[in-house]
Amino acid sequence: MPARLSDIPLKAPVNVTWEVTRVCNLRCAHCLSAELRAASDDELDLAACRTLVDELARMEVFQVNFGGGEPFLREDFVELLAYCHERGLTTCVSTNGTVLDDDLVAQLLALSAPVYLQVSLDGARPETNDALRGTGTFARILQGVELLATHRYPDFSLNMVVTRVNVGEVADFDGLARRYGAKTRLSRFRPSGAGCGAWADLRLTRRQLLELSAFLGEHPEILTGDSFFALTPAERRTAGLTRCGAAKMTCVVAPDGSVFPCAFLSDPAFLAGNVRIAPLSTIFRDSPVFRRFREMEPAACRSCDRFPVCHGGCPAVAYFLAHSTGAADPECLRAVEADATLEEVL
Amino acid sequence: MESIEYLVPDWVRVRRESFGLLFYDTRSTRLTFVRSGDALEPPAFVGGDRRLRLVMAEGGAGATPGPATVAVSRATADRTALARLLSDLVAKGLLVARKAKPDPSPFSGDAGQTQ
Repeated sequence: MPARLSDIPLKAPVNVTWEVTRVCNLRCAHCLSAELRAASDDELDLAACRTLVDELARMEVFQVNFGGGEPFLREDFVELLAYCHERGLTTCVSTNGTVLDDDLVAQLLALSAPVYLQVSLDGARPETNDALRGTGTFARILQGVELLATHRYPDFSLNMVVTRVNVGEVADFDGLARRYGAKTRLSRFRPSGAGCGAWADLRLTRRQLLELSAFLGEHPEILTGDSFFALTPAERRTAGLTRCGAAKMTCVVAPDGSVFPCAFLSDPAFLAGNVRIAPLSTIFRDSPVFRRFREMEPAACRSCDRFPVCHGGCPAVAYFLAHSTGAADPECLRAVEADATLEEVL
Repeated sequence: MESIEYLVPDWVRVRRESFGLLFYDTRSTRLTFVRSGDALEPPAFVGGDRRLRLVMAEGGAGATPGPATVAVSRATADRTALARLLSDLVAKGLLVARKAKPDPSPFSGDAGQTQ
């Protein structure tokens, strides 16, 4: 038996990211789902969604993280949330906040279990956010946040994708979130979806990466749900993930039912199956793509002293930048510390 | 004799895995891996009864699980280890302990550890 229980393969994902719609009212510069928006319109209908919820419950998946598109633009979405709760699933919704109104917030509060909300906002200042998420969105998003605060919504966070243009506002962003009673969540900018085209302009510089790493070390209360473990300083070793959970602890279901290891690898090369054709449990257990993913570990990283805290970093970043999921994360802390040329290319 | 039963709070999910139990705190999204073997059985994924249940080794396969009550005054190595494990899970907010009626059923099992 492996020394660490967390190294033992799980029978099912801990959580599943479900991109429940491709419809969105914003066109963010770094949107990871931009390619989904352009795909054909064959979203799972409510009956198919219920079937998937039943399967998630049968698998005993703990949590569904809904994303999109903008999930609340789907007319049957609150009904779907209610069904998830009925079947024992915890729900979290990533929303751009612009469609929140009194009626919707009241509906969410009336559900039998809490819905955790992550509201996307990409800066502490209007001009910073609006450059990434669209003109006027800062004010619209904060209206939604204001509503949540007014209704004393019990658990929500403001989520910022950290880029070159907003990294200097992280501390102010945290202050803004606190003023509304929200937690602060920072997400890593990755070169997938629209992020591929925006990568050169928005990626963090070497100095910014190092400063962000130091900041995260000083602020363990700030949430970093996904993939900052490549930059995780020693102080945060117990604060979150220490390895990529794709195909092991999580996977993603696209609007049409396609299944991928993670939202940042929703690429045909990583298509593991479709829930319209096979149960998610079968795809998760038997898909060759997932099996390959579980065995993958960058050989070059094994001798690194940081291997226990990052296990090679984010395969999606490695795939898009180094064209191999088996390569080391090019933005890992050791690489950033060692490679002064990172600054030169920016 | 005073016994304690252990309940899984509303904000915690737990399921069986090959090594024992996997706990998920929905508030912090923190996972806790528990090497409990077959000794403990989580409550049903959906339903009102949130009690963690103890699997009776003497009954062998198919034995009826009973409430996971620990008579703390009875000292055996397994019982002590299991009590320590459950106490640890209570301290982490993953279980809630409350007094229960005495459960005379003996138990045994791999008490496990948490990570």
